[in-house]
Amino acid sequence: MSWDYIVTLFVPLIQGAGMTLAVFAVTFILSLPLGFCVTLQLNSRHSFTHWFAETYVYILRGTPLLLQILFVYFGLPLIPGIGPYLTFSRFTAACVAFVLNYAAYFGEIFRGGLLAIDPGQYEASKVLGLTRFETMTKVVIPQMIRVCLPSISNETITLLKDTALVTVIGVAEILHYAKTEVNRDGTPFPFVLAAILYLIINFVITFIFKKLEKKYEQ
Amino acid sequence: MNSNNDNHVIRVEGLTKSFGDNQVLKDINFDVNKGDVIAVIGSSGSGKSTLLRCLIDLEQADGGTIEIEGRRLVSDGVHADNKEKRAVIAEMGMVFQHFNLFPHLSVRENLELAPKLRSVGTEREIEDRTAYYLDKVGLSERIDAMPSTLSGGEKQRVAIARALMMRPDILLFDEPTSALDPELTGEVLKVMEKLAQEHMTMIVVTHEMSFARSAASKILFMNQGIILEEGTPDEIFMNPKQPRTKEFLSSIER
Repeated sequence: MSWDYIVTLFVPLIQGAGMTLAVFAVTFILSLPLGFCVTLQLNSRHSFTHWFAETYVYILRGTPLLLQILFVYFGLPLIPGIGPYLTFSRFTAACVAFVLNYAAYFGEIFRGGLLAIDPGQYEASKVLGLTRFETMTKVVIPQMIRVCLPSISNETITLLKDTALVTVIGVAEILHYAKTEVNRDGTPFPFVLAAILYLIINFVITFIFKKLEKKYEQ
Repeated sequence: MNSNNDNHVIRVEGLTKSFGDNQVLKDINFDVNKGDVIAVIGSSGSGKSTLLRCLIDLEQADGGTIEIEGRRLVSDGVHADNKEKRAVIAEMGMVFQHFNLFPHLSVRENLELAPKLRSVGTEREIEDRTAYYLDKVGLSERIDAMPSTLSGGEKQRVAIARALMMRPDILLFDEPTSALDPELTGEVLKVMEKLAQEHMTMIVVTHEMSFARSAASKILFMNQGIILEEGTPDEIFMNPKQPRTKEFLSSIER
């Protein structure tokens, strides 16, 4: 196997990595705040919003992500009436499914983090005159992030690997190109290259989270 | 709305509070004058902490009136609106049994967070105040320390400094030394005695009888949700009138 051949296999994979990272980044950036909203609704005293959030988490954690991707891309456009408005491009459909799914997981992680906050922190904030919003942003969330970071790190690594699922609706990411090459050349070697690419990206993600955990450690 | 006696900074009338079927406070009445140091004593479950927490709205009174510096937190069981409550609470500071420092912030940040958010003074004044109060509690050199590196006594002294940063007229202490090792209580009590000498109005729920005896101007003895007996330290410690007060005092002095 010549180096030139390996390079010709690798170039499309790099191109696919761009798409992988795009799905990853959109999901990561949108599902964290959405997940926090889910947490707030889970803790809500209004029974309807609480019920809604619980059902949301139950459905999105209880069904396969692969199925959710297929449903968003193929299923939503078929809903009578609103279907035409829910017809997405492959990339958008992939992102919608991922953001909804990961918000449910992050929501559960944050819920655990909120439970870890001592009630005394809210009391101290109140007697010092902090508003609810200030209590959340200055006192609660920074402590919650610290508690949640290891779980978020874990989930983020899973997220990167899960992006491979979007190949099922034809989004041209790493695995999509690797499969094409395997079929074309009759060798499984492109899968090895794909694995190496995932490992490299996850190495960077792990490194960043280790740094963050250090920073929040004190 | 002002009470008849302008010296009263706190006036409590007919205060009641229940948790479920358990009536923790039954008809509490007392006044606090400016500069008073009130020690609230009594056995566990007598309602001392609940009383203190009602004064600063950490628990919501069921009935009665709470008036702080002429403004009503609760008026005949009707609570003030949130804006008024915030204004009333701002007159007071509170020190907790378990310190409740913000663990993710340094000592300096713990002190400066609330005053900066509420703009209690200019940035410069707030920083000067940080230096002043840390010096007062003897922790100037720990200004950049994180709470996790402090001893219990140091944490509580930081908590007192943090409460003072908001320039409260009244300081509430909820068993400030109960979570401390015995050898660390002295450093906290010394700070509190210093504040008492400077005529800070204080209400202290405590099991430290030596502090109550030496620093308090008035003792409230609570038993089963009522103030059973009140008086000067001499009256309460030397000549208690109620059998239950005698029993309590002899049980803790043994």
